[in-house]
This record gives sequence, C-alpha cells and structure tokens, in this order.
Amino acid sequence: MIEVRNFTKRYGDFLAVDDLSFTIPEGEIFGFIGPNGAGKSTTIRFLATLLQPTSGSAYVCGHSVVHDPMAVRRVIGFMPDDFGVYDGMKVWEFLDFFAVAYQIPRAYRKKIIGEVLELLDLTSKRDDYVNGLSRGMKQRLCLGKTLVHNPPVLILDEPASGLDPRARVEIKSLLTELRAMKKTILISSHILSELADFCTTIGIIERGRLLAAGSIQEIQKQLRTHRVLKVGLVGEDVPRALAMLRAEPAVQHVESYDHTITCEFQGEDGDKARLLHRLIAAGVSVHTFTEVELSLEEVFMMITKGVVN
Amino acid sequence: MLRENPVLARELLVNLRSSRSFLFQLVYVALLGVVVYAAWPIEREGLTQVSAGAAQSLFELFFYGQFVLIALVAPAFAAGSISGEKERKTYELLLSSPLQPSEILIGKLLSALTYLVLLILSSLPLMLLCFLLGGILLSEIVRAYLILVLAAGTFGLISVACSAYFHRTSAALVVSYLVILPLALVVVYLTRNAAPETRDFVAIALLPPWCLAIWTMVAVVVSRRLLHPPDVGSEGRAVVDEEEEMKNAIGVIIDRDLFPDKLFAPPKRTDLMPDGTNPVLDKELRSEIFSQGTLMLRLVIQVSMLLSIPLMAIQLFFRPEWTAYYVGYVLVFNLLVGPVFSAGSITQERERKTLSLLLTTLLLPGQIVWAKLLASLRVSTVLTFLLTEQLLLAYVLIGDLQQQFWTLLIFLAIIAVTCAVTTSVGLFCSALSRRTVVAMVLTYLLLLLLFVVPIGVERFLTNFTEIGVERLSALTVTSPFAAALSVPLTVSSPDLGLTASERPAPPLVDPIGWPIWAVYLVLGPLLALALNVMTAWIFRLRWWHAGATL
Ligand SMILES: Nc1ncnc2c1ncn2[C@@H]1O[C@H](COP(=O)(O)OP(=O)(O)O)[C@@H](O)[C@H]1O
Ligand SMILES: [Mg+2]
Repeated sequence: MIEVRNFTKRYGDFLAVDDLSFTIPEGEIFGFIGPNGAGKSTTIRFLATLLQPTSGSAYVCGHSVVHDPMAVRRVIGFMPDDFGVYDGMKVWEFLDFFAVAYQIPRAYRKKIIGEVLELLDLTSKRDDYVNGLSRGMKQRLCLGKTLVHNPPVLILDEPASGLDPRARVEIKSLLTELRAMKKTILISSHILSELADFCTTIGIIERGRLLAAGSIQEIQKQLRTHRVLKVGLVGEDVPRALAMLRAEPAVQHVESYDHTITCEFQGEDGDKARLLHRLIAAGVSVHTFTEVELSLEEVFMMITKGVVN
Repeated sequence: MLRENPVLARELLVNLRSSRSFLFQLVYVALLGVVVYAAWPIEREGLTQVSAGAAQSLFELFFYGQFVLIALVAPAFAAGSISGEKERKTYELLLSSPLQPSEILIGKLLSALTYLVLLILSSLPLMLLCFLLGGILLSEIVRAYLILVLAAGTFGLISVACSAYFHRTSAALVVSYLVILPLALVVVYLTRNAAPETRDFVAIALLPPWCLAIWTMVAVVVSRRLLHPPDVGSEGRAVVDEEEEMKNAIGVIIDRDLFPDKLFAPPKRTDLMPDGTNPVLDKELRSEIFSQGTLMLRLVIQVSMLLSIPLMAIQLFFRPEWTAYYVGYVLVFNLLVGPVFSAGSITQERERKTLSLLLTTLLLPGQIVWAKLLASLRVSTVLTFLLTEQLLLAYVLIGDLQQQFWTLLIFLAIIAVTCAVTTSVGLFCSALSRRTVVAMVLTYLLLLLLFVVPIGVERFLTNFTEIGVERLSALTVTSPFAAALSVPLTVSSPDLGLTASERPAPPLVDPIGWPIWAVYLVLGPLLALALNVMTAWIFRLRWWHAGATL
C-alpha cells in the first residue's frame, strides 16, 4: 500500500533522511517513531507529495509520489504536524471547503460532513468559528478534514502532540475507530507508548536512518543480542551464582537484589538453555529463570542509544 | 542606557550584519553619484560662475528625493517592528522581560532608523558638492538635513506606533502610509513655494517643536499600551466573531447584505457551496478577506472617503481643470490599498500554516492563483471605484466636462487597468516571498518603480538634458499618473478663464505616435497578464511541485 524506496533528503550539506526504505501493507497501522529532528516529518511530507526527494522514490496505492502526485493526493488523507486554520470560518464551512477541494459532489457532502462531525464528536461545535476551538478540537477537526474524501490511506504527523491527557485519549479512541474502518495508517510520534496499543507495526528512525522496522515482537527479536534475564534463587546460592554468571563471556551487567539476579545476555535460545543447564549442574537452586519482557519504551531507549549497532 | 538596550543590540546585529544592507548603501550612493554627474553643469572650466539655478534645482532634487525615500522606507523598516513580534509569537516573551516599555520602543525605533539615517548621511558629501557649486547657502543644507532627520524620526515613530496597535504587519504598514502621506505632502507644500525666510521659519521654529510634541505624545501612548497590552493572549489575535464585532463597531460597518458592501464582501454562506465552485475564491471572499482586521479596512475607507470630500469640493467648484489630479488621488488610493489584499494572499497561507493543507487537495495551482487574483482584484477594484463617485458627479454637474464625456471613460479605464496592475504585482510578489511583510514592501517598491520613478526620471532628464519630450514620454508609459495627466481635457475654470490652451498639449509617445494614456491602456493589461502567468508558474514550481519548505 505504501512503499518507500531509498528515500534520501539533504538540506544543503545536512543529511536529514538517509536511504530510507520500508513497506506498509494494506490495513496495517504503522507507527513511525523517533526523537525530535529524526526525519519523521521530512519523510511524511515526501509521502504527502509536498517535498522533492534528493533521491529515491515512493508509491502509495501503486501511484508514484514523484511522478503522479495528483493520484496520490486523491488516495491519502494528510494531517501535517503543524497546521493552522482559516480565519472567519465555521466548523462546517471548514469541512465543506475541503470537501469541495476534493471535488465531492454537493449531494454527498451534506451526509459526509454530518458523519465526520459525528465521528469526531464535534456535532455540537458545528456552527463555531474554527479559530476559536481549543487545540485538541482543532486537531480533531484536522483529522476530520483528512476523512472527507474517504481515502484508503491516512498519513498523520504527530496527531496527538501538545494535547492534554484527555484529548490524547480521545484521539486514540478515534484512531481505533479508524482502524476498524480498515484504513491503512501511517502515524508518527516521538513518544513510543502513545502508539504501542494500536499499531500493528512500528519503524524506529533516528538521525535520518531507519533503525528497526516490523511488528513489536519482531523488533524485540532483532534485539535478541540484548536480552535481559532474571534468575530467582533459593537461600545461600546467590554469591556462587553471581560468580558463575560473571565468569560467563555471554553475560554482562550482572546485578543482584535480594534473591534475584538480573543480567544482560547475548545469544540464542539454545545458549540460554545451556546456561540454565550449567547453573543447575553446579547445584545452584534456581526457582525462576525468565527473560524480562522489555517494555516498548525500554526497547526504544535501547535502540535510540545506538545499542543495536 | 542605549548601549545596554538588548532590543536595539539584537535588531542592529541582525540588520547590519547582512552584507546586503551594505551593498544597498553602496548602490544608493553610486546612484546619487550618477545623478550628480549627469546634472553637473557643463561649463566645467568656470566652476564658480555656474548658474545658481542649476545648483538650486540639483539641491532640490536631492532634498525631495530623499524626503520621499524616507516617507516610503521608514514605514517599511519600522511597521513590522512590534507586529512582527506578535506574528512570530515572541511578543509575550518580549513583554514579560524586565525591559521597560520605553526601552523596547526606543530600541525598536532606533534599530529601524539607524540604517535609514546612515543612508541619508551617506549622501551628505554629494550635497556638499552642490554647495561648492555655489548658489546654495550652507544654512540651506543644514536646514535640509534637519528636516530629513526630523522626518525620519517622526515617520518611524508613527510606524512603530501603528505596529504596536495592529496584529498584522500589513495593516500597520498601510495605516502608516495613510498617516504619513498627508503629513509628507504638507511638509513639501510648506517648504516648496515659499520665500527663504518662511522656509527657515518652518524648518527651525515650526517643525522641531511640532515633531517633539508628536513624539512625546505617541511615545507615551505606545508605552502605556506596551505596559498594559490589551492584545496579549490568544497569541495576540482575538477570535473574530463578526456579529459581535459589528455590534461594537463605531464608524463604518461592513454590512454584507447591503449595497455597496456586498460587492466586495458577499454575505456568508448558510448552506454548502454549489458544485463547481472554486472553494478558494469562495473562502477568500466570504470568510477571509475581512477577518484579517476589519479595523484597518474601516480606517482606510473612512480616511479616504473623508479626504475625497474636500478634494471633490475643490474640484467641483474651484478647479475643474484639476480633474486629472483627482484621478491621481484615486490612483494613489489604489496604489496603497490594492496590494494589501493580494500581497499577503499566498504568503499568509504559508505563515498561518494552511498551505500544506491546501496543497494536498486536488486543487490545481492555476485554480488557487486564479482564485487569489479574483478575490483581491474584486475587493481592490470595488473599494477604488467607490471613490470615483465624485468624478461621476463632476462629469454630471460641470458643463465643460459633460461635453468631453469620453475622457471620463478613459479615466475609468486607467483606474481599472491600474487596479489590475497593482493586484497582479502584489500577487506576484506574494508568490516570490516567504513573508507577507517582505511581499508588501517588495510590491510597493515595484509599483513605485513602475508608477512614480519614471516620472521622476523624466522630469530630471527634461531639466538636465536635451532629449526631446516625445522620446522622454516613452519612459513614462508604465505610469498611470502620467497616463491620467496626458488625457486632453479643455476646461475653463471659473476664475482663471480658459487654461487648457495655455498648457502645452501632452506629448505623443515617440516611435508610435500614440498618447501616453493609450499606450498605458494597452501595456497595463499585457503587464498584468504576464505577471499572472509568471505568478502561476512560480507558485507551481516553488510551492506546488517542489513543495519548498512549508
Ligand atoms: N527546510 C529545512 N531546511 C533545513 N533543515 C531542515 C528543514 N526541514 C527539516 N530540517 C532538518 O531535518 C531534520 C529532520 O526534521 P524533521 O523531519 O522535521 O524531524 P522530526 O522527526 O522531528 O519530524 C531536523 O534536524 C531539521 O532541523
Ligand atoms: Mg516532526
């Protein structure tokens, strides 16, 4: 559905995005995550046909972003990270404006505007001036603008940034509804946990490079070399186990707390099993031996620290 | 205190650091040098016996040229000083700093004027050359510079005050011009046709105290406003509730349902747009054009309507032969107000961050540019033609004019073409620039280059060279003012008898033998067309296709 091939963008000497490639299949919700200045907005503006690439190409629903921007605009709903609204316009006029700009016949417009307002929970604000709305409502309205021509693909740049927790939750529930409508969504954020609940895949970008992409499980698998083990012991075995683990070349950062040892472990599942075997063979009474599920935030922090490379 | 003023320090750093400003100064002095060289009296062997007249007219050229320059450039530098902070949303930061309002004001004023004063002073050596020619007293030069510096201060302060009052720089700029223009005319009138003693009196005894009084008053009012700013919050821009605003409005109220207001401000929609509407055009006319500050528009309309009444009275009852000058007044109005609507039309989409929304729709660049053009052209034309009402009245009431009814049609055509040109130039600059202020200043400069500079050059060459009038008139074909003055009108004025016969017939343009107005009426529309084609092309390349950093 969305395919980015070797996208590179330079601003003068500054390399903002470096050889970025990824694909988003139909119906997926792709979370595009990276710290500020990583190159998310640059990539998204390229996909929204607003930016000429230094090199590379991209396709949305099979249309080339570079060569056939009109066809791409027809199939995407785009919400920029930083947008404004027109003066002196009411909420319904704002939606009508974009509906006309997307060439939707008048007969459908009435129905669509009503539905969009309903979906966004803005029906009561129908006759308010747009520049009098709160920030959260403006974000929702802009999200509504992306829906008027019912595009199969939504490209949303930080739709929840700068919102209070309640408005965030509202945007999130909206996105969940959009997912139920079977839309393909690319959504960016600099906060990982914001996306974790409803994204099917994520891509992590830092300094213009894609560090990892795939489902959250896959990304954790890519982190295989950095697993965190938790070993629970009984009684006086702790010092002996500590000594053993410290002697293992595949184990680092061994720490103990009470009767529990945590350490970082490099290796495959087989190596992990052999480590457990050696501990038990040495007579250490292990009652727990688990791998700590890293939270998304921790994955993010590890990756963006450059641990992967 | 001044040396530690951080506002001044920052602004000066930004302004003077650019090598562009230095280059501009160089070009300016070089230009002045060329003027002096061209006008330098021929009898070079006898430098001391040069006719006093030549030196005098060179001196006057310098003085009035620089005076006009100050009147035009001071607002361009100063009108953005505070409203720019509002637009960049740094206004609150500035106000909440421990700086005194007076310090902010002085910093802004001086930084805006330093460069201008530098420019003026760099012409001093050339002025002294005129002194060497003889025929001019040193006291005259001192007086001239006193007036120039006073004018720079006053005009700058007025612009900064407007800047403190308006949210948008474009509004501040236009209102500054509207206030400054009459003041400048008064000064020119007072210093021109008077005996030297009167001039000295004006320059030394009259102007300085007046200027000081104005300065103090304005400074106090503005400092108060900065101390207790009513326009902080909601990012320096209150939500426009039109109905509410109309209730509170004093003076002219724009009533969208009534004639003539509905010509330029059609009523708001109560239902969806019909199919096939250009949404941008509809949006501009019904929602946007007046939301950017109805206050400014009211001011513009009120001031010019008010001015046009005495002008009309003079024209009708005392000097019907001045009809062309009244047309000139209408043209000046259009020159000032026309660009307001078009010069911001593209840059504002960018500044308010709506451009990326607009560009990702299915609208084509041609549609967007066309809508912007039509909307601003419509408003500018309707407002300008409101002022021609007096002209029509004159043609109905005055017998001489009635008999030459066709000249009215020429005048109206000149005005209409000028509307198209000013709007097109504004739109063109808007597509070129990144900021509205830049677009507006650029527009005014280009329009001056087209409308006023040719007349100045023509006058200069007539005085100092032997080139024939027909040849010279070819220079002024881009100026509607020259066009209006070239319309042949024979009118007897009540007290002076027939005057037209005493006036030399307007020259025909050299190679084709047409009168200036005819050439203007052909050239103007072509120019507008070419500009708009270029605008669409630039917009396409710069924003629509390349999507230059939004
Ligand atoms: N028009 C521009 N000119 C120069 N540098 C730019 C421009 N736009 C973005 N950048 C730089 O490119 C980098 C990526 O920006 P962006 O894509 O906006 O990051 P983010 O991931 O926060 O959205 C940033 O370092 C930014 O400074
Ligand atoms: Mg961003």
